[in-house]
Amino acid sequence: MADAFSGGSLRIEGVSKYFGAFRAVNEVELEIRRGEFLTLLGPSGSGKTTLLMMIAGFLDITSGDIALDGTSIANVPAEKRNFGMVFQGYALFPHMTVRDNIGYALSVRKRAEGEIRARVDEMLELVQLQDFATRKPGQLSGGQQQRVALARALCFAPPVLLLDEPLGALDKKLRVEVQEQLKDIHRRVGTTFIYVTHDQEEALSMSDRIVIMRDGAIEQVGSPQELYERPATRFAASFLGKSNFVQQNGAVFALRPEKIDIHLGTGHPQARRRGTIASITYFGSMQRIIVETTQAEQIEVDIDVWRNRQALHEGETVELSWQDEAAVELNES
Amino acid sequence: MQDKQFMKEMLTESAHAYKEGRMDRRTFLALCGASGVAMNAVLAGDAQAAADHVVMWNWGGQSVECHGSAIGDAFTAATGKGVKFDTSGPLEGKIKEMVDSGNVTADVADADLFNAVSLGPTGHLEPIDYDIVSKDKTLPGYALEYGVSVILYGYAFVYDTEAYGDNPPKDWKDFFDTANFPGTRALYKWANGSLEAALMADGVAGDALYPLDMDRALNKIKSIKDDSIYWGSGSEVHSMVVNNEVTMAIIWQNRGRNIENDTDGRFKLVNNQAMAMPGAYIVPKGNPAGREAVMQFIATAQEVPAQLKLLDCLGMTPSNPAAFGEIPEDQQPYAITSAMNIDKIVYNDPTWWGENGGDAVNAFLEAIS
Amino acid sequence: MNAVARHIHPGWAIVAPLLVLVVALYLGPILNIMWLSVTDPEPGLGNYRKLYESDSLLRIVWTTLRICVITTIFSVSLGYSIAYAMVHCHLRQKNYMLTLLLVSFWISILVRTFSWLMLLGRNGLVNNTFETLGLISAPIAFMRNELGVLIGMVHYMIPYAVLPLLVSMQSLDSRVMDASRNLGASGSQTFWRIYLPLTLPGIVASTLLVFILSLGFYVTPAVLGGGKVLMVAEYISVQLLVTLKWGTAAMLAALMLAGVLAMLWIMSRFMKLSAVFGGSTR
Repeated sequence: MADAFSGGSLRIEGVSKYFGAFRAVNEVELEIRRGEFLTLLGPSGSGKTTLLMMIAGFLDITSGDIALDGTSIANVPAEKRNFGMVFQGYALFPHMTVRDNIGYALSVRKRAEGEIRARVDEMLELVQLQDFATRKPGQLSGGQQQRVALARALCFAPPVLLLDEPLGALDKKLRVEVQEQLKDIHRRVGTTFIYVTHDQEEALSMSDRIVIMRDGAIEQVGSPQELYERPATRFAASFLGKSNFVQQNGAVFALRPEKIDIHLGTGHPQARRRGTIASITYFGSMQRIIVETTQAEQIEVDIDVWRNRQALHEGETVELSWQDEAAVELNES
Repeated sequence: MQDKQFMKEMLTESAHAYKEGRMDRRTFLALCGASGVAMNAVLAGDAQAAADHVVMWNWGGQSVECHGSAIGDAFTAATGKGVKFDTSGPLEGKIKEMVDSGNVTADVADADLFNAVSLGPTGHLEPIDYDIVSKDKTLPGYALEYGVSVILYGYAFVYDTEAYGDNPPKDWKDFFDTANFPGTRALYKWANGSLEAALMADGVAGDALYPLDMDRALNKIKSIKDDSIYWGSGSEVHSMVVNNEVTMAIIWQNRGRNIENDTDGRFKLVNNQAMAMPGAYIVPKGNPAGREAVMQFIATAQEVPAQLKLLDCLGMTPSNPAAFGEIPEDQQPYAITSAMNIDKIVYNDPTWWGENGGDAVNAFLEAIS
Repeated sequence: MNAVARHIHPGWAIVAPLLVLVVALYLGPILNIMWLSVTDPEPGLGNYRKLYESDSLLRIVWTTLRICVITTIFSVSLGYSIAYAMVHCHLRQKNYMLTLLLVSFWISILVRTFSWLMLLGRNGLVNNTFETLGLISAPIAFMRNELGVLIGMVHYMIPYAVLPLLVSMQSLDSRVMDASRNLGASGSQTFWRIYLPLTLPGIVASTLLVFILSLGFYVTPAVLGGGKVLMVAEYISVQLLVTLKWGTAAMLAALMLAGVLAMLWIMSRFMKLSAVFGGSTR
């Protein structure tokens, strides 16, 4: 087959982007490995989309370099980069059928008709839209449109697929479903995925690695587990998951709510804080309890409802304890 | 403009109703209020179409001032009646429309004599009352049943002295001779005058023009088509000449003076074989001021003082032979019936034009387009 | 009675007086024209028969169609480039361009027409300059012919062509064009395969607008054509005001009306008219 998938590796070397005097991306250094699912995570304005657009070639880089498999692509125009892209809102061609949308990349490359047909069929199967080939995008649901966009971007077997908040327009339930499909497709095609989102859950559940971005710079890079378990900064700790920040021996530590034990009454041997319950919120599988400590901190504690059946009530006095390794020292400068 | 017309008609109608007691004062005031018009103004406007005024329908511009001073003042002095003006231009179609709609708001129209021939028999015009209007105070043949010629204008031509300095064109034959007189000509788009000029150029005698030999005339017109452009209004031909778009142009002869002035004498007027056109006053059927008043108005316009004032003010030549001899020296070259010109000119036949004008215009348009 | 009332939305009661007015004041005169076309000067289809019998009428209709089609082609293609430039330049320049475009709406057609004479006439600026420079020996005949009419009409029509195109282009999602490039399409491929088809409703709207407006053109052909370019609108006016052949005028007016309606109908078979006139492109 002409278009066998194979991932590409990207090197981003000291890339900056200025819009006039405004610095949108600042000296970003990043190695993206062949075939990995890398997520750029950050709040809006963190530079993640700008970085993606520079990788795609829609924006020039102000300084630095981007290389694909060791070759610089900084001066290669977008249409020559051969990167697939799934746009925010999908940007499907409304006047073309699903088949023509998916086959577009091959058609503009003047591939033979039969070849295009076969490849599009393959793609339709990949995203399970065989029955929708002759529809127009306007006649499809949001989830189906999203899959068309994915198939269109993958049809020409790009080494790198860029995804710009592709699930933003879907409702929550559908989003989880599509996440599964995306991961599955990633596994099957082996293309390098670069995924932009501001949704931490999406990032955690799908990525091989996550890049947390803030104010145009990389805050921290790592696997979901590394980032969750060992956030380096207050920002990383609070953006990815929830975190308490506690002072210990003059340093600041991040402490995940679920890693704290709560004890009714006083006098617990491992107690590190004492306080009263300010509020209790019930989430089904767990309860979130906010404790106001005697040191005037507010500490959130998540407890597993099933495994911890103490009868807790607002206003009661409790003690909190945690293991040493639960608290991660932050790099606060 | 249509809105205004509608408003005017509605208010005039209600003014009548109010006066006759068909409408109460409050309703009438409310209508006036809704139209943004003071009641007094409407009643005055209504009077415009009543017996103490004559409404003259002309072409605007200087005409209002000139008709007022030349005819209106004398008319008012003699009869005590005023003169008002409608300046929308009494084209034949508009007169027909006005009479057909039953809303006649004008008493006398400044039109062409051939309009009297085409609109009279169809019942659109009041006959001229020759007990009041005089047949002797116009040229013979120009006092017709439904219209009388009050002034004359003419079709003459101007030429560029820089183009033909040593050997200037003298007559229509030269005008149509593009070989010996190269250059672009401007002709009148609505056929009138252009057809007669073509026939004279082709050798037809000035007193044997009618009935016009259309084929012969149109062939002559077509023979210089590549060197011709056509004008529809006096200002248009004026601009064609002063912008040097043409080297010769058929023009209304009263424009000759303006053109000579505006081109510092570069263009010269030629009156030889100029065609006298009878401009006529005609009266729409059922005119509001009544027949007697309007006939008095027309009679006033025939008088020598009025005739001379019209010449002075508008450049329109008298049609009353008694005035011919009194045309002042400086007007002589531009007045078609002046002693200087009267022997060189030919006369338009309004009867032929009234009966055949529509077809002639269409045939002409077809030939030039 | 109640059964009828139940089927009529009460909202109609509010618009009914206006509707009656529109029908009376708009449809009435149109019907009158149609009536006139089969009764004046005598009852029958004589006026319509003239279309077959008279070469000159056919020629006028043909001249009108030819000029309108050429005008439309040029106005819409030039308008397309202008609208494209406006959509894709900086906001400041866009505002300048929009202002210039709208200002041209306010300049009387007579002024514009005579400006062309001053610029391109026999003794106009262009001819004079060329002659002074020795580029030409005799003036180029830009004006007082069909070329002049076309120049004047295209100039007048361009703003009308631009506006629907502008609206259509502005409503496009620029990401769709990015997507096309990203999928490897060159600039011209993106234009022909994506941009142009997506702006098609704007092109159709602009074409209809310009063509229909062109059909009614009067002043420009009369002046810039030097009397030699006779179009239907001017001919109708002559028949009404000068030659009193109202039946012929009404017949031509009815013909133009039918032509325009037919055009709208044909268009409606190819695309939703609501999409053409400002509806969404989806």
